[in-house]
Amino acid sequence: MNDARDPREADDARPHDGDDARALAEAISQVLRGGSLAALATLVVAQRNVGAKALVRAGGASVGSFGDAALDEAVAARAIKFLSSRQEAATHAVEEFAPTLEAWRGARVMFERVEPEPHVVVCGAGHVGAALARLARALSYRVTLIDDRADFVTRARFPDDGVALVAATEGWAKAVREAVGTGRGVAVAVVTRGHNEDEECLRAVVAARPDYVGMIGSKRRTNIVLERLREAGVSEETLREVRAPVGLDIGAVSPEEVALSILAEIVAERRGGTCAPLSAWRRPRTENER
Amino acid sequence: MSSIPQLELYRLIGEAQGRGERVVVATVAHTRGSTPQRRGAKMLFFVSGATAGTVGGGCVEAEVWAEAREALRTGSSALHKFSLTADEASEEGMVCGGTMEIFIDVWDAKGSDG
Repeated sequence: MNDARDPREADDARPHDGDDARALAEAISQVLRGGSLAALATLVVAQRNVGAKALVRAGGASVGSFGDAALDEAVAARAIKFLSSRQEAATHAVEEFAPTLEAWRGARVMFERVEPEPHVVVCGAGHVGAALARLARALSYRVTLIDDRADFVTRARFPDDGVALVAATEGWAKAVREAVGTGRGVAVAVVTRGHNEDEECLRAVVAARPDYVGMIGSKRRTNIVLERLREAGVSEETLREVRAPVGLDIGAVSPEEVALSILAEIVAERRGGTCAPLSAWRRPRTENER
Repeated sequence: MSSIPQLELYRLIGEAQGRGERVVVATVAHTRGSTPQRRGAKMLFFVSGATAGTVGGGCVEAEVWAEAREALRTGSSALHKFSLTADEASEEGMVCGGTMEIFIDVWDAKGSDG
């Protein structure tokens, strides 16, 4: 959300002190609750201070120390580079990223990505929306399910309290905007019962430019909605980010299959997947193109 | 046991710290070859004997358990290397045959009575 929040600087280096461990756990929880991004760096091999940690926020502010300002600085720089990769965790020798730090020769640092699970905002709790909410929960993603029909978003229908239920009684726009927030770490699927509702949701979503936004429908119908947004002044660049029709072509037919196709696209966007069959390399190209 | 969301993981660590308890956190730091869990996978060990998360099932879990229990006792963190040769792996019927480096880390809660 905002990486600059609570820019506490590291105290002196007492890596194994319980107070520091608690401060660190709290700082990590804050990053996760706030929907922001950080790297947790841990000294895993060293002559001293094994287990020392620093949390480096994407904005640059750090909590914790390795007991050596030069190492802290080198690790913080490497942590930012690590975050720009899509890796979840990686372990590097100090000489790889700070060859001049003789005192830390042979030491290794583990970097871990600290980031909340993706938040999937589902606009529309019909067959596809309901299936998508349940499937996203199976992946441990956070889910918010919105519908303007209050009896479609009841606990009786969705007993899993990991699904936040929102009855958009004051209109879609407000509910959608609140659920999407800054758009950071958020994937939005617009799957309402009608194209007017889809349009209302999409208008409310695009300003936040979430990590992923898709809208269900045929090429023709989704084009109509996108055209209306274009006329309303939404930029080409923003419109290009909208996946419409939503999902990957897996030949989905049933609502559950459509939900899978949408979720597969969300995962691919998050992890940088190509969406090609992993077995494609076995088949000669010519055969593939026939 | 499956992987658990980070927020849940750090909530559990925070709760244990709040009770003044030590927690051991095992993390897959590095992998080579075919291994049963991804880098960054975590498993928590509590003084009660309870655990949460996983670092990879039958292949290594027994060894990790032993090291984690030792760390709960001694309070010292260290990186451990576990080899999963193809033979061992196939004997256990597991689909793995690489090496995993797992950091077994102690999160202490001393000073928590304040």
